[in-house]
Amino acid sequence: MRTNLNLPKEAVFKAPAVFWKRLLAFLIDILIVDFVIGYPFRRLIIRLIPMTDFSKSYSYLVSNPKAAATVSLITFVMGLLALLYFALLEYKTGQTLGKMLVNIRIESVAKELTFFACVMRSIFLIFIFPLVLLWIIDPLFLIFTRDKRRLSEVLSRTRTIEIRSLMR
Amino acid sequence: MAKKQQKSRWGVIIGILLFLFLLAYVFSGILSILIGGDDIKDGNVALIPIKGVISTQDKADIFDSGVASSGQIVKDIEKAAKNPEIQAIIFEIDSPGGTPVATDEIATAVERANKTAVAWIREVGASGAYWVASAAEHVVANRMSITGSIGVFGSYLEFSGLLDDWNVSYERLVAGKYKDTGVPLRKLSPQEKRMLQRKLDLMHQVFKDEVQKNRGLTNSQIEAVSQGEFYLGNEAINIGLVDELGGKKEAVDYIEKKLNISAEITVYEHKVSFLETLAGLLNEKSFFLGRGIGDSLSNNARVGMLT
Repeated sequence: MRTNLNLPKEAVFKAPAVFWKRLLAFLIDILIVDFVIGYPFRRLIIRLIPMTDFSKSYSYLVSNPKAAATVSLITFVMGLLALLYFALLEYKTGQTLGKMLVNIRIESVAKELTFFACVMRSIFLIFIFPLVLLWIIDPLFLIFTRDKRRLSEVLSRTRTIEIRSLMR
Repeated sequence: MAKKQQKSRWGVIIGILLFLFLLAYVFSGILSILIGGDDIKDGNVALIPIKGVISTQDKADIFDSGVASSGQIVKDIEKAAKNPEIQAIIFEIDSPGGTPVATDEIATAVERANKTAVAWIREVGASGAYWVASAAEHVVANRMSITGSIGVFGSYLEFSGLLDDWNVSYERLVAGKYKDTGVPLRKLSPQEKRMLQRKLDLMHQVFKDEVQKNRGLTNSQIEAVSQGEFYLGNEAINIGLVDELGGKKEAVDYIEKKLNISAEITVYEHKVSFLETLAGLLNEKSFFLGRGIGDSLSNNARVGMLT
């Protein structure tokens, strides 16, 4: 038998996602990207770079411009695929797997969320100048601006939110 | 309804992840084919193979498996020389020689490498290939390896008699009396023969000087061994052309003893990439095929081969 208590609906509101949740979601996503996209490239990278020691690999790459160029190309392609991971999932579901786990999501501050906006908000994943500068600028924007948005989010007219309850 | 939505949501997520995984595999495969064999590897001793006829021609297509490209070998030597981990270089030589310029380029790179260099002659290390071997500080050869052959030749086939038989004549039009010297369609004049011989002698002198300097031979020793004769390994060791009889093990032992290290060998060899193969197919060979075999033959009749 079903009972209807006719309780008032829980009062909820959207708020900018808190920093630690966003950071945790990003770290989880990077782990997933490392597995899904990094794994297929692993054999190629091992063929190219001595894995024993970072300084050895670095000095080798410095003295071998062709090898360094190849590694740059691989990094670029991996960045492109990582960008696709974020853009496709956010466009289709509003969340990445990391965001799902910490219960945050993205939304458009314009009319509707477009695929282009999803690409723009994760453009920092492509390792080319000047986009790499976003790795520094984006967190600074996130921490020091009032509406807690990264520069990429401001430019793509999106934001990352969480649903909070007034009861708490 | 909500359950159904949740289900299709997970379908989308799994679909995207699978799509990206497959895309990553496809891209890594394409990159692997495109970059070819420029691997970076660990180790403290570089092994650089010199196999086939030494030439300045780039080994850029599948038809050139018998060519040792001087450009690529010099690149490999420079790469090994720049690598701080590499302490010594072994040159695995199996070559009958090649063109003077290509040979000189490799021998100069061996000298400039500034690393302990050991030449390991396998089946053949003759003529230009021996010049390269002599630039190393230690030469190891099998007792039956073919070495030496310190000489230059510029012989070629001359077809003027054949043309006469077919009532075909060579219409000579030149500005500069030596311009068409070596054209196989007419006999050489005595002056041309003398001129060509002079050039060959000059090349021979450079060859002899280099081997003499590299091996520390006296004038009489170099004169004795530079008559174009080839020597088996167990003859070569008695006339100062080879330091030790043996193979790879002896080459490695020499390095380990001299540098007091445990040798870990890394092969420096350029594997032709897919793009280079394509480029190779589209340029020189196609050009020669188009021009016809006869034309290609006359192109190959060059003066001065160290083979």
